[in-house]
Amino acid sequence: MALAQLLHAESAAIESATGSLVGKQHHPATADSVICLFQHGGPSQMDLFDPKPELTKRDGQPYKGDLEVHFVGQQGNCLASPFAFAPRGQSGIELSELLPHSAGIVDDMTLIRSVTTESVDHESALRLIHSGKFQAGYPTWGSWAIYGLGTSNQNLPAYVVLSDPGGMPVDNVRNWTSGWLPAVYQGTAFRPGGTPVPNLATPQGITASARNKQLRFLEDLNRSHMLQYAGNTELEARIANFEIAARMQTTVPEALDLSQEDEATKKLYGLDNPITAEYGTRCLIARRLVERGVRFVQLFLASQPWDTHSQNAATLQGLCGKIDQPSAALVQDLKQRGMLERTVVMWGGEFGRLPISQGKDGRDHNRHANSLWLAGGGFKRGYAHGQTDDFGYAAVENAVSVHDLHATLLHALGLDHQRLTYPHDGRPGSLTDVAITKAKVVPELLVQAAAP
Amino acid sequence: MKFLRLIIVPVIAIQCATVAMTVAAAPPAYLNSVAPILKNRCIKCHGPAKQEGKLNLALLTGIARGGETGPAIVSGKPDESPLWQLVESDEMPKDEPLNGDEKKILREWIEAGAKELPGEVPKEPDGDEHWAFQKLRAVQPPAVRDDSRIRTNIDRFIQARLESVGLSIGPEANRAALIRRVSFDLTGLPPQPAEIEQYLNDTDPRAYENMVERYLTSPRYGERWGKYWLDAAGYADSNGYFGADTDRPLAYRYRDYVIRSLNSDKPWDLFIREQLAGDELAGYQPGGEVSPAMVELLEAAHFLRNSPDGTDNSDGNPDELRADKYAVLEGSMQIIGSSLLGITVQCARCHDHKFEPFSQRDFYGLQAVIYPAFNVEKWVKPKEREINAVPAAELAAWEVKAKYVEEQVAELRAQLRDWARDNRERGNTLFHDDFDQENQKVAATWSNKAPGDTAPSGQPAINLDSPTAPGAQISQGVLQIVESRDEGDRALSTQQSFDWTPEGEGAWIQVTFDLIKADAAPYVGYLLALKDFNDTQNAGGGNLLIDGAADGKATVHVDYPGGDSKLRGTIGQNGYTPGRSYGVRITNSGGQYLLTQLVDGISEEGVVELSAEDLPDGGFGFEYCCGRSFVVDNVRIEVADASPQTVEARKQLAEAYRKKTEELNATIRSLEAQRGEKPGRLAIVCDLSPEPPTVPLLERGSYKAPKDNVGAAAPAAVSETTNPPDLIARNTSTSHSTGRRLALAQWITQPNSRAASLLARVTVNRWWQHHFGTGIVATADNLGYSGAPPTHPELLEYLAAKLTARNWSPKAVHREILGSAVYRQVSFVDPEARRLDEDNRLLSRYPLRRLDAEAVRDAMLAVSGELDQRSGGPYVPTVRDDDGDVVVHAETPGALRRSVFLQQRRTQVVGMLEAFDAPSIVFNCTMRTPTTVPLQSLKLLNSAFVRSRAATFADRLAHDSGEDSRARIDRAYLLAFGRAPTAQEQSAALQFVSDQPAEYDKTNGVQLAWTDFCQMLMVSNPFLYID
Repeated sequence: MALAQLLHAESAAIESATGSLVGKQHHPATADSVICLFQHGGPSQMDLFDPKPELTKRDGQPYKGDLEVHFVGQQGNCLASPFAFAPRGQSGIELSELLPHSAGIVDDMTLIRSVTTESVDHESALRLIHSGKFQAGYPTWGSWAIYGLGTSNQNLPAYVVLSDPGGMPVDNVRNWTSGWLPAVYQGTAFRPGGTPVPNLATPQGITASARNKQLRFLEDLNRSHMLQYAGNTELEARIANFEIAARMQTTVPEALDLSQEDEATKKLYGLDNPITAEYGTRCLIARRLVERGVRFVQLFLASQPWDTHSQNAATLQGLCGKIDQPSAALVQDLKQRGMLERTVVMWGGEFGRLPISQGKDGRDHNRHANSLWLAGGGFKRGYAHGQTDDFGYAAVENAVSVHDLHATLLHALGLDHQRLTYPHDGRPGSLTDVAITKAKVVPELLVQAAAP
Repeated sequence: MKFLRLIIVPVIAIQCATVAMTVAAAPPAYLNSVAPILKNRCIKCHGPAKQEGKLNLALLTGIARGGETGPAIVSGKPDESPLWQLVESDEMPKDEPLNGDEKKILREWIEAGAKELPGEVPKEPDGDEHWAFQKLRAVQPPAVRDDSRIRTNIDRFIQARLESVGLSIGPEANRAALIRRVSFDLTGLPPQPAEIEQYLNDTDPRAYENMVERYLTSPRYGERWGKYWLDAAGYADSNGYFGADTDRPLAYRYRDYVIRSLNSDKPWDLFIREQLAGDELAGYQPGGEVSPAMVELLEAAHFLRNSPDGTDNSDGNPDELRADKYAVLEGSMQIIGSSLLGITVQCARCHDHKFEPFSQRDFYGLQAVIYPAFNVEKWVKPKEREINAVPAAELAAWEVKAKYVEEQVAELRAQLRDWARDNRERGNTLFHDDFDQENQKVAATWSNKAPGDTAPSGQPAINLDSPTAPGAQISQGVLQIVESRDEGDRALSTQQSFDWTPEGEGAWIQVTFDLIKADAAPYVGYLLALKDFNDTQNAGGGNLLIDGAADGKATVHVDYPGGDSKLRGTIGQNGYTPGRSYGVRITNSGGQYLLTQLVDGISEEGVVELSAEDLPDGGFGFEYCCGRSFVVDNVRIEVADASPQTVEARKQLAEAYRKKTEELNATIRSLEAQRGEKPGRLAIVCDLSPEPPTVPLLERGSYKAPKDNVGAAAPAAVSETTNPPDLIARNTSTSHSTGRRLALAQWITQPNSRAASLLARVTVNRWWQHHFGTGIVATADNLGYSGAPPTHPELLEYLAAKLTARNWSPKAVHREILGSAVYRQVSFVDPEARRLDEDNRLLSRYPLRRLDAEAVRDAMLAVSGELDQRSGGPYVPTVRDDDGDVVVHAETPGALRRSVFLQQRRTQVVGMLEAFDAPSIVFNCTMRTPTTVPLQSLKLLNSAFVRSRAATFADRLAHDSGEDSRARIDRAYLLAFGRAPTAQEQSAALQFVSDQPAEYDKTNGVQLAWTDFCQMLMVSNPFLYID
């Protein structure tokens, strides 16, 4: 069966199987792909994105009022950010001096300063922002997106995770699980360096021509078996998959081969600097993957570096030095190639941090306010949304829950979060589970306001 | 269209409103059109859980009965039906009225007479009326028009449904197909050639039944069907919960108990009772002697330890520790709910279930049953819930042997250590501290600041010459590192600074110390090139952290700590254990500096490359972090130049050391083999006290909001006066146990009760799913209101009744199912059947199914003749290889055993199995979703596992059939597909094996051609699918 036919058959099958519009969108999309630069640990909003003069004024004074702290007994006084904020770009959105490169793309950004979540525990909060539930075992929003959109390049996985050479993030592979959606919607982790996907190389000694003859013999075996099962699409798909797998053996290494990039591009991502080179490489690979039709790319960090319980300021300085330039470069590069129009870049972590100190110089977890930015794919340019109180402890205006965020992101992809369902536990399971979470699309974040 | 079959099934059964809208031409049917609307829009308030106005719209009986104000529907007259009136005027549903399409369906259904409504219903319901929560109904196999295809009563139920759409059970499959089907189904392995031959030539009229019987009595049956239950019961060889996913080394005893129970056809009700309350059934007393008879029962109760349990490794604040403990209880609740009761219980943790008659009180009542064994106020960590379960004399004998082996091993290790110390390469000593001087002070040579720094590393600073954490003191000639659990890192550094970049290729600098004691080995850390520890100068490089890790490989970070810290790789192999000398050596390799780990002065495998920038001048120090206290001695820093002679001597030394280590390891292995595993170590479950604990209902599921104390109770909806939910009233408590689990075990298996009926339905439904790919209820873990409706409700009643009538014998049910014509029919698709029964939910043909993950791997081993059939015992360890794939190394003992015996680590599922949908167990898995993805093809084409099997398969052909290619091909087809090749297949294969050698080198081209041939057979659809 030709590839085109196969793809057609596949989306038709999914559609008839689910009775919904899966495989094509519910409404016109403003984005076709997503790159999520996930920042494990909870970046400190009042040091990066959310200037708080009142907090600066009260530095070292006791915080008046109740705070939910995670590490009980270690809470200190108000802790001002030591970093200067200034208006950036045409939009004048204020960002910290720690983000000089992000300052250059602020006019392409929707900055949300009022993201809220429901847990201050890393694992639970990670599951909330990735899958909308605090328990393990639910599909991540990347899986939902692929389930809804299908794939546009059969020779590459639709959902790719670029993991950190330094190791696994907290909560491990659960960050990209398909939960109870079929495993085909799970993120495929490309390992940095070496073999990106296990078993990608033909065993030594088997030439291309020997492999071709093997495959021809195999196809004959399969075709003769199929005579009794004419029209069985699963058998057809398995036959076609051998061709696809053979093609993946060249398409995957090609997508990861940065030698085809020019020097200016490499420099833009900071590949010439040992500090930014690693993250820059992965950001650049993310662009190359999206260029080749990958729908959903996620970058993770080893462990949870943004978890600044101590030495908050020094740690942020180090991390921003590594991550700011490549992140901004990705947006800039997508824009100059005309790809930002249809690609959402998302940057943020699982929760925010507290305005008071933990111990001498750290900040504890905070679920009541978190800053996060989005760029491209129909999100507004140069727009800051929501407000926190004078200390940055809690969202007080236009709060956006992680569920609202999910609803809005799916909306940009042309998917209705209430209609994108899959049978689970005897009822239509969904990412946002609106009856419980009250998730809603936030039209203010989008260039074209969403239909009510 | 990959997963068409499996996806389509639950959905067709469940349906959603959007589908219903498109099929409104005929009058809408209750099940497909009306029920979904009521379910999605009405039953939150008028359903099983919350019957506002005493109206339950989730059931036909409930609709017919109506509510407080009378019937909800007047058949044929929507305008007189209160339900329609309220819906039409948008008064109901209150939050969001029905849309036009939904209203239209409802109206048309009432107009057409709402035909599905029962005529007579009792005024007051007697308990919950959902079908699955009732006692088993006596059912009569229906009459059929054509009984030519009827073998058993099962066939009547299937045939009647098929006839209703104009279809019939298909013709019987041929014997070759049947034996392959039965063999895989019952044992997970392909039939052996001899078995095939026997069956094909058997003239006995009961040939089929006899063949089934042979597989039912095979020990391989328990391994196959045991695995199904192990998945449902949430079995894993690791603790899960946290990313570390630590080892659960004794779980295998439960796995073996399950396999033995299946093989002995243990009655299922007894099997369940043993798993819920084995310790109570055995009369086990904590601390008491364990008789051999008790062991099996104690192994069974490990069922309640299958839940993820991270509490061996928990740290954090008290709230987090409490959450970790409750997570264990909640995991067990979920396993009990989905594997035994077919109810999704977890929703009721926070609130009354919205779709099921399962209240929050039911949840905590059930939790109160297992709580005495997992009391969060008296928590015992998994590692401490272990006992020796063998007679004292046997254990004592083993311990004598073990002590001897231990001494021998220690002696041999000491010899190697001494040899290493005597023969190691020496340099010039730059620094040496043996902490032996009289009244020696730490502060004399060491500092809490890194060289050049003005402030101490970390806050609070290390207290020099103090035992107060974080502290450092010299005592009895050794240096004690006393760590607290304070946030952040610190280092105790030499005051002296060193040049860490030795000059000239081959030159080295090294630092070594003796590790005397370590509370948290292998977690020992130390630092080189210490300077600017607090990052105040923001200079890169330096502060090289060597950090011991659980897997034995120490990680190397540059510029530690802080966000600019970079992981550079790992060195070393075997982790840190007290009694040996450790350290690192930096060798100039001409432009680069190579870092290796030293054990007893000798370099181990594993190198990290460093640059001069990474290694500024600085101090050496010990790392303070995370409560890791340890004791060291003899800190020594040496440098050495390299001449051609020393380079050669180094090579010889490394080779000599490698040889000696190998010899040592071989001797240790043989000593340990002589000693054997420690007998009788058991991970048990038992109540921590016979006193009834306080088990609070948690408001919104919050551990911070405990409410009333809840007594142990079974779910009310499945109880009745003759089998009441109050478990405490059963008086099962003893002097050492609350008896609550025993009471639950009795409740759930009480003959002729609603509970036992539900257990029987859940069980046979899951078995039907294993035999046919999909359950009669497609949602195997959910037979409640929110589960899929059964396709053949009466058949399910019939099978459940059969199970209870046959003393709960699993094998009796297998015989019944395998003897049916529906099981024995062909899998080919008739065009008419495809049109009328597209998804095969009516079973107009045997469903063509792909082998599941374990069967794919095991069948390849069986066909290549390599399958290691040893059963039971500790798991075969798996590893993540350099490619990132999870594999069993070929040299690992037991590498070729069945998949059920491989390590089932939650976060490390064997790649070959994961690719074919083996679950990574979070709680449990009652149903797998088969997928068809290119990554499977990559695995089949390129993995070393498949390629090796193919090579051995080819050797086997040569051995079995000699030089005759035709004979080899016949043999290959028989082994792989269970049949002879057709003439056409035979000639195509001949062509391939004669052409393919040209693709390879002359020396081994023929052999590789046969390997290719065998591999293609093993990755082809006729191999991977059961016809």
